[in-house]
Amino acid sequence: MSSEVAVEPGRVRSWLAAHPLASYAVRRFGLYLVELWGAVTVAFFFFRLIPGDPIQTFIQTLQQNYVYNAQASAAVIDRYRAEFGLDGNLFSQYLHYMYRVLFQQSLGPSLINYPTPAQDVIMRALPWTVGLLGLSAVLAWVIGLLVGALAGWRRGKAGADLVTNVAIALSHVPYYFLALILTFVFAYQLAWLPARSAYNARLTPGISPEFIFSLLKYGLLPSLSIVVIGVFSWLLSTRMLMVPVLGEDYLTYAQAKGLRPRKILTKYALRNCYLPQVTAFGISLGFIFNGNVLVEQLFNYPGLGATLVNAIQILDFNTILGVTNLAIFAVLTANLILDLLLPLLDPRVKYWR
Amino acid sequence: MKLVRGMGRVFTSNWKLTTGLVLLLLLILTAVTSPLIASAVGGGQDPVAIAAYEKWQVPSPDHWLGTDQFGRDVFAMVIGALAVSLKVGAIAGVISTIAGVLMAFIAGYKGGAVDGVLSTFTDMVLVVPSFPLLIALSAYTKNVGITQVALMLAVFSWPFAARTIRAHVLSLRARPYVELAKVTKFRDLEIIAYELLPNMLPYIGVGFASSALGAIFALVGLEVIGLGPGETIDLGKIIFSAIGTGALTLGAWPMFVAPILLLTLLFAALNLCNIGLEEVYNPRLRGVAGA
Repeated sequence: MSSEVAVEPGRVRSWLAAHPLASYAVRRFGLYLVELWGAVTVAFFFFRLIPGDPIQTFIQTLQQNYVYNAQASAAVIDRYRAEFGLDGNLFSQYLHYMYRVLFQQSLGPSLINYPTPAQDVIMRALPWTVGLLGLSAVLAWVIGLLVGALAGWRRGKAGADLVTNVAIALSHVPYYFLALILTFVFAYQLAWLPARSAYNARLTPGISPEFIFSLLKYGLLPSLSIVVIGVFSWLLSTRMLMVPVLGEDYLTYAQAKGLRPRKILTKYALRNCYLPQVTAFGISLGFIFNGNVLVEQLFNYPGLGATLVNAIQILDFNTILGVTNLAIFAVLTANLILDLLLPLLDPRVKYWR
Repeated sequence: MKLVRGMGRVFTSNWKLTTGLVLLLLLILTAVTSPLIASAVGGGQDPVAIAAYEKWQVPSPDHWLGTDQFGRDVFAMVIGALAVSLKVGAIAGVISTIAGVLMAFIAGYKGGAVDGVLSTFTDMVLVVPSFPLLIALSAYTKNVGITQVALMLAVFSWPFAARTIRAHVLSLRARPYVELAKVTKFRDLEIIAYELLPNMLPYIGVGFASSALGAIFALVGLEVIGLGPGETIDLGKIIFSAIGTGALTLGAWPMFVAPILLLTLLFAALNLCNIGLEEVYNPRLRGVAGA
């Protein structure tokens, strides 16, 4: 982009002026890069400001396991410091980190599983998190949208209002509250479902019906706690979008035409809520990430959240930053894609401003 | 008198706001009187002292919620913990609301480049997942008091307040009466203090409530995974010790049901206030938000 501008500045500028959508996309993408850089930088400096020396702790653990008999020499400590990118002052550490991430596509070694690279540790945990939390979040969104539309459609009826009031009370209750209650009832009192871990440890992971069944059985409780709370909050916001639409003239017209109520609901009314809700879903991705740390920790689920907590406890900076940056990247990218797609999906969205 | 009657009308016509406020007041009252309740439960003694009673008693008329692994009365403990949790919320809420209001007024009122920079900064802080940062911070601040923890939590709760308040500042700024004040050569500070701030109070209240709640839940979250300030007992600490001591397997349900119930009530109260207030100030929403 920058080289193009340098060669023919006038032509690029006039082309952009003639194509508002393209100029919007370029501007939006530029903002995305700035936000990405800013958030990653904030996270980097924040974590480095935490007191504590991970290398000393690491050497001590090695000594406790009798890997070193004598006191570790200064040379050994220096070597580890350099390898983990912890040498020099804060600013040179930052430049070094950014250089390594951008140009070598490497997060550096992880302290938890030294010498495994941090990105391998993260990639091992990622499928669990995406599988459990991603799926649950999408499920909650779909169910919430449908139930919310119905609750709005049938407002004033006892059943719909009851559901709405329950949702008002429970929509933002943290996931782990429900997780605890569900664990108590179904795992400890009734002993129907396992309380911890991701699959039966006696089975070997693979694509066998037995293993998949165990996967589902172990994932049911954590997933259920996310889905139920999620449905409540999506239900409420969908209903809020739905009800004002119901008085619109075009719905009355559709009724007068003699369309079936179900068709009016799905083809006419619901269309007005799902686009804003798609945007809201993109924004909520980051908060899903926040909640999952606790749910994974409670159920001892081997996902990113549990990895993060372990990494933080021994100040494994490379892994911590890797997980955090992944979350930042996911949220910002989702928002970018939504912002670029929405003008195409919904003609009412103005992209030029 | 007119004001009182007007307020009365608002309360009778909006059951959500009324229920929310009543619930909230009850919880605060319980928290404030918690020392009295504790001494009444203990009959003069401290019922939360270690080994005051027998361990793991089931709920009975003597101990409404039973006793825990050290023989402490769970009812007295939960009430005391509610007071601590509310205190954390209050401190964190006040600080982050002040920060949020300052941020929002400077950004929303100045507009232009100042707004651009401040809003982008707010969004950046908002996008960095705060919970990992909190875990990291608290893992290395084990020996601090409840006030320091509240300060720490405030650092992460201001962006929400800043964002919502800024949105309202933007809409208020464009109103004719503000334009009028500008034309009559009021200074910016005067306009903010006399024209904007009074109209913003309900939203600032909502912002305060949600930051306070966010801080309380963040602390509970930290404690549930075993990180949190050392000595004080708040609601999260009770949940954590319920998990840690196997209260789930022992069937000592009050130890985690009671704190969860109280926190859920607190949330429901604030959420009701929030929705109720929106309805009062935005008549178009009446009958839309909620039932």
